[in-house]
Amino acid sequence: MSFDWSAVIAAFPQLLQGAELTVFIAGIGLIAGISVGVLLGMVRAFGPAPVNAAALVYVAFIRGTPLIVQIMFIYFALPILMHIRIQAVPAGIIAIAVNSSAYVAEIVRGSLLSISKGLTEAGLAMGLPFWKVLVFITGPLAFRRLIPPLGNQCITSLKDTSLLLVIGVSELTFTGQEIIADNFRAVEIWSAVAVIYFVMLSAVGLFWQYVERRMPIL
Amino acid sequence: MSIVKFSNVEKSFGPHKIFNGINLEIMPREVVVVIGPSGSGKSTLLRCINALESIEGGDIRVDGFSVKGGRNDIRNIRLEAGMVFQQFNLFPQMTALENVMFGPMRVRKATRREARELALALLEKVGLSERANHYPAELSGGQQQRVAIARALAIRPKLMLFDEPTSALDPELRQEVLKVMQTLAEEGMTMVIVTHEIEFARKAGTRLLFMEGGKIVHDGKPNELLLSPPSERLRDFLQHVV
Repeated sequence: MSFDWSAVIAAFPQLLQGAELTVFIAGIGLIAGISVGVLLGMVRAFGPAPVNAAALVYVAFIRGTPLIVQIMFIYFALPILMHIRIQAVPAGIIAIAVNSSAYVAEIVRGSLLSISKGLTEAGLAMGLPFWKVLVFITGPLAFRRLIPPLGNQCITSLKDTSLLLVIGVSELTFTGQEIIADNFRAVEIWSAVAVIYFVMLSAVGLFWQYVERRMPIL
Repeated sequence: MSIVKFSNVEKSFGPHKIFNGINLEIMPREVVVVIGPSGSGKSTLLRCINALESIEGGDIRVDGFSVKGGRNDIRNIRLEAGMVFQQFNLFPQMTALENVMFGPMRVRKATRREARELALALLEKVGLSERANHYPAELSGGQQQRVAIARALAIRPKLMLFDEPTSALDPELRQEVLKVMQTLAEEGMTMVIVTHEIEFARKAGTRLLFMEGGKIVHDGKPNELLLSPPSERLRDFLQHVV
């Protein structure tokens, strides 16, 4: 068989639209997920026992169930339980946010705890309260250690958006599938979809590489 | 009036009792050197003074403030007691100068300009003016420890606490740190120093404490204790350290 470039060219605008939605969902989902994850991670590292336990249960539960089940649950089960209507795209964003927050929490906890206790003591011994030590000394150091695993998480979450096809979100993978249903050009379209993912993920990788070069681990 | 006063201090780590009623008074301008075998409680004693370790019984007062007096008292104590650690603990993301400026700006509310002037003066005092813009990783251990001393002095403490300041250093680098400490002692700074540097205790110390098993076994003039140890145990200890 021959590779039909015209099928790719014809599908390209539609695929780009799908890619746009993919980036949008991953972007918003990750911003929310990282924000929540950072808070959870701090609670897990330094929080008082009851809050810490609650955070632990949340993290264990999210990490202990498949993302695809979480997506289904948020889109199909949650509306029944809470008597609300939820659109597919917001449901997708919530799923990505919730899922990534649990992983980010563990990343943040790990990097906070990896900072030498001596530095915290040096800050405390100057008369700073603990939160200021965290904001000015240990937090910025922990952030540097956060960069590589955080980059990983961004890549994972962006790819995870492809699972949203199960609830009909017209992100990149879903769009590809729809096009193939029409034109039966599986080789061309899946190749194009793969290349578009690769380009997007390379950009994410390069971005974090740049951040890491600016803020190397100390 | 004493600047540091331990009254009947009790301290445990879990089920393990460290101090069972320690009493100690330190006067202004005293240079107190604390020696003793490892595990004797010297570092813990020091760390209790600025509340890095909490105590269960009794009280420690630093210039009138109590380590049990809550957040404000502890903050005041820490502002009056500068601390130097065995592992230097310089902030690695800041240059030597920024390390020294940090305290004045963040806890003393100095302006950037004031903090910079003070920091440069202190770095000069410890002989590191030309290293001001280097990061800790670019400095030798001895230089890092001198920056750490400057950083502690920058909050304008009335009292300096040293927790084995030369134990992580090569023998040749120890001298440059000890010299800075001796100058401080000569200027009349009140100092409490946990160390194994017996020679320094003799030269710079005004008072020597020998600790063992969480007790202050001997408390006296360095020369007297070192020249004629009053106990077999101290004589033994000195033979092994020197």
